[in-house]
Amino acid sequence: MVSANTFHVVATELVVGAYSLAGIAFLFCLLCPWLPTSIKEKRSAGDAVAHSALMFGIIATPFAIWSGLSSAPSGDMGSPLLANKMLLSMSGLGLALGTLVGRWRGGAAVWETRRSSIIQACSGAGATGLMLLTASAGGTFSRGESLLDWLHLPYNEVMLMPTYLSVVLLLLGLACTVVGFKPTD
Amino acid sequence: MLKLRVKVLLLLLVLLGSTTFGAAEPGGNGDGLRDMQCGGACHGDAGQNATSSLSLSIETPEQVWAGQPTQVTIVAAGVDVSHDEDLVGLFLLSSTNANGDTPLSNGWEILSDGKGGTGNYVERSTDGSGVSLQHTWILRTDTLGEQTLFASVHHGDATGSSQGRPFFGISEAFVINIEPVPEDLPRLHEDFVPLSMREVGEATLVELQTKFTETVAIEWQTEDGAILDAPVNASGEQLWEFSLPATLKPSSLQWRATFTGQGPEQTTPWFTLAAQITPAEVDDRPIYIQGLAMGLLLFGAVVALQKPRTNPEAALKTFDQTAEIFTVQAAEPVAEPVAASLSDAPAPIPEEGLPSGWTEEQWAWYGHEYLAGTYGGGQ
Repeated sequence: MVSANTFHVVATELVVGAYSLAGIAFLFCLLCPWLPTSIKEKRSAGDAVAHSALMFGIIATPFAIWSGLSSAPSGDMGSPLLANKMLLSMSGLGLALGTLVGRWRGGAAVWETRRSSIIQACSGAGATGLMLLTASAGGTFSRGESLLDWLHLPYNEVMLMPTYLSVVLLLLGLACTVVGFKPTD
Repeated sequence: MLKLRVKVLLLLLVLLGSTTFGAAEPGGNGDGLRDMQCGGACHGDAGQNATSSLSLSIETPEQVWAGQPTQVTIVAAGVDVSHDEDLVGLFLLSSTNANGDTPLSNGWEILSDGKGGTGNYVERSTDGSGVSLQHTWILRTDTLGEQTLFASVHHGDATGSSQGRPFFGISEAFVINIEPVPEDLPRLHEDFVPLSMREVGEATLVELQTKFTETVAIEWQTEDGAILDAPVNASGEQLWEFSLPATLKPSSLQWRATFTGQGPEQTTPWFTLAAQITPAEVDDRPIYIQGLAMGLLLFGAVVALQKPRTNPEAALKTFDQTAEIFTVQAAEPVAEPVAASLSDAPAPIPEEGLPSGWTEEQWAWYGHEYLAGTYGGGQ
């Protein structure tokens, strides 16, 4: 039987790998207009890679979150590092899902205008950044070091909102989603 | 294109070639109960391990009684001589099976790991204070006869050419002879288990259970080494009580008891009592709600911003076929409106006259169809 710790390591490696690939591809798509023509023509390939990798990462993320909670020493949010991991991973997951849904609804046309291509690339790369921060916090928690140590990020401090503010944000997010999905006349 | 591929390949090769072996967990793994397998593999890959140059030995008292606490000390010599170890992980093992080899697997009970826990693995900082590192566990076993213990070590190297490399070492076997307890020996009761951890700011009342004991004396010392006596009260038949003072910060103190009675005087090992601040219970729900809110907000924001927009002019352009019509008109010559003029004019009346039963008005309207053979469905 595979322990939750081992399963968490496998799941996080899949998540980090997929998101890293997606992040690089999103940056490529963002910078395409300024690249030489021969490379610029490859944007459709970059678009496919970015969203495919992002979708794979999204599928693997819930497994990583679940196994992470199961393998936590106290089984709950006893450490600020674990609380930060939860907040960062949920934010990253939301951003990634929004990016993927945006691409699904808008098609390849999301890269046609400057505005939508910036939003698409930045949200995809942002999701990657949040997931990498989550992985870095995990490394700090389990091994005492991470690749992002040079940033001296305050993992031991949690920006915890009052519950009512979280509920307000939740409703705001719900409203944004409804507006986003409401068909235009 | 080929040149670009070669460049990318070369870049990847350089990146791969520049990677170095590293101790994966230089921050340590934390004290606990661990098999030797962990000492060989915690660094990430046991195949990367180098042999530690530390000299390991185990020290025990001359006489070890069954059922009585015994102090077992690992001495690691040669610290900071060949390598800058920084952090050293020490294992107390009962075999070298690499799995199921903690002292618990061979009938030992770990009463104290000297740091407030009851594991067989501790991490110690070398901090350049000396070339020898010692650590003491308090063990107890009921098994008589010869018992074997091993000391194992793993560490990294903080500087020099082997910086980041994982080192692993294991001692030879040290045999301990467990003897039966003399009947009248004043001693601790076999059921007594010393407290190893408490909260900061709380004084501790310790209740001792003894056997064949007439008097008990308690000594305790703080981390700075000053030894003090604690008053002891008899609370029952072979029951004794004494109090240890509270600490103001996370730290540890040690205590030991001296028993006198009919048999020879006995002194226990130093028991370590650590003090910690237990984190307050955390309510998880606000964190989950906030996480969900942040995720949904970001999702909704991106979906709303990337909503496919319908431009009225663009929609009109979608159905506007004017361009195609112009294209067709440009490609084909404009047909003379002969047909139209023909269809407007009545068909010429045949030489044999109007069909039977037809009036001229009917002919004016349907004459063309009659001549074409399509009038009345071609009949």
